[in-house]
Amino acid sequence: MNKFIFQTTKVIKKFKDDEELKKLHFELKRSIISAFGRSIAIREIDTGSDGSPEIELVNLTNPYYDIEQYGITFVASPKHADVLLVTGSVTHNMVTPLRKAYEAAPSPKWVIALGDDACGNGIFKDSYAVIGSVDKVIPVDIKIPGNPPTPIEIIKGLLELTEKIKKEGY
Amino acid sequence: MSYKNQLKQLFPSIIYNEENDSEEYATVTSKEILEISKILKELQFHLILEFGIENFKNYKGITLVYVFEKTDSKKLLIVQSKVDNDIESIAPIFPTAALYEREIQDGFGIEFKQLCDSRKLFLHEHYPKGFHPLKKSFINAHIKLKDKVLLSEEYIFKKIKGEGVYQIPVGPIHAGIIAPGHFRFNVLGETILNLEIRHFWKHRGVEKYAENKSVEEGILFIESICGDETVANALAYCMAIEKVSNIKIPERAEYLRVLFAEMERIYSLLGDIAGMIIDVAYPSGASQFFNLREEILRCDEKLTGSRFCKGAIIIGGVSKDVHSKTLKELEDYMDYFSSQFTSSFLRILENASVMDRFETTGIINEKLVELLNLTGPLARASGKNKDERVSHPYSKIYTKLMDPNKILNQGDVLARFRIKASTITNSAKIIMKIIKCMPDGTSSANYALKDGCSFSIVESSRGQNILYINIKNKKIDRLKIRTASFCNWCAIEHAVMGNIVPDFPLINKSLNLSYESNDL
Repeated sequence: MNKFIFQTTKVIKKFKDDEELKKLHFELKRSIISAFGRSIAIREIDTGSDGSPEIELVNLTNPYYDIEQYGITFVASPKHADVLLVTGSVTHNMVTPLRKAYEAAPSPKWVIALGDDACGNGIFKDSYAVIGSVDKVIPVDIKIPGNPPTPIEIIKGLLELTEKIKKEGY
Repeated sequence: MSYKNQLKQLFPSIIYNEENDSEEYATVTSKEILEISKILKELQFHLILEFGIENFKNYKGITLVYVFEKTDSKKLLIVQSKVDNDIESIAPIFPTAALYEREIQDGFGIEFKQLCDSRKLFLHEHYPKGFHPLKKSFINAHIKLKDKVLLSEEYIFKKIKGEGVYQIPVGPIHAGIIAPGHFRFNVLGETILNLEIRHFWKHRGVEKYAENKSVEEGILFIESICGDETVANALAYCMAIEKVSNIKIPERAEYLRVLFAEMERIYSLLGDIAGMIIDVAYPSGASQFFNLREEILRCDEKLTGSRFCKGAIIIGGVSKDVHSKTLKELEDYMDYFSSQFTSSFLRILENASVMDRFETTGIINEKLVELLNLTGPLARASGKNKDERVSHPYSKIYTKLMDPNKILNQGDVLARFRIKASTITNSAKIIMKIIKCMPDGTSSANYALKDGCSFSIVESSRGQNILYINIKNKKIDRLKIRTASFCNWCAIEHAVMGNIVPDFPLINKSLNLSYESNDL
């Protein structure tokens, strides 16, 4: 049988065998526990991405990555969120909703800019219809570049954030 | 008598321009466009695209281009009309024109007479008055917005009045990991009386941004329009340019392109299927499909170096050849995929609570399909065989290797669920066949670019994507892209009527339309 083929029961096994991911998950869990106690809640806001970061974020919850079991949840309202995860180069049409979402999130709060668009290197950054990057509208704590970043890169970015919070406090 | 002669008799001023294998061009005066539309409607044409171009073919002003399609004809009829004085809206004849004409009003600042809805479309209320980005006089740059939006300038939604009727505003930011859009429901009890969608929150100015860019650069932002239509849009773009410049791509490149396109169709539709099952609260059933999607994305990474096949398709072929060993691995995997997919799918169909939610929910009437130019799996679930791979075969591989599509008549969520599943199985079969008869040779051709304009149509995972490009001095002069989502979004407003509010997410997911490729 080929490496490409995963038997259903082997799916999780193969995933557990991935040493890098295993280590990342372990560190993430430990980091979240020491920084937040139990878990962090993330509200995702799309302000003009090409849709691929959203696909990768949904993929983070699939059985391969399954980040919910390590203490990360995606929530329905900014009012329930510790972290706002913003994608896209912030279109003019989305500036007000983004500001409102930021104001609605309770303090302490952190912002992640995800993807090249949100970080300021996006392809449409010079267009008349966009602002260019998230940090021109709301303060950003961590940037995760990529077009789009892979699930592993997103997990690394989340780890960077929790480590930062651990170091700097609320 | 052919329709061309028939039209010529009724309207002597009509001029027939050049004609090629896929398009026929005609020029008419702006006064006659409404009357001609009426005749075309009788001749069973339907409108698939309408847009404007400034400074086109020695005319300094704005030229409107109407693209009509006839059900049994492989050729498109392209009607061009100069805007010299008042122009009448053709929305009373072809309802989809209302959206295109609102788009043209925002973009070029021309006004249509008797346009039923003249609210702003992609420029929301904070854009300055008199700002029309698609005009050539505006050079793309960051602009200053209004400081304050007056109450009178705000967007007005339809409101249904009566005892017990109330409104539910949803969005632009939604509860899930999803793009923004505003939905305004008018509800009585739990039943939806009316839904109005307001989009273009993600308007990034793609069409203007493309202007004066080099043709090679263009592919970068075509790929950035929509993540899960990357290959479809890149393919449409390259095909249009290859048609203009008369570039012949190697056979191996054509096979690889179709391979990538079908891989994309599979992962995109797998997401739809998994999402529908999630929305009826059955996550364990959905995870099977999420697993398969992750595996397909990993296959894509092995094939092209990008999980979304970004950068895989270039003008003249594909950027990187695929090693035969990788193709062999993919063949083995697809074998496993097909059996795994079928068993997971059958398990869902056996689940009574899932079927209970799927059946008779969100019905889209067959009559709407041609009226609103609905395409893709959603049209095939409403009794019409709409598939560009069949009706405008842009690659001979499809004519040779594709099995006939499954068609269902019910038009409900269950029908769409089944059609999407059968599309996936069909695509998997195409991939297996492609790998078996993959020809040897080079994977890209050398080319020399020429000026000119052209259309191309492809079938993305959501339906018909049509692209127009005009190249002047080896640079893009005008790029217009209309994805399947632009038309298919209208279907949701009809599909939800009479359903209960909690079924809306399910109906929405069963269509799974793209926000980014609608908003551009």
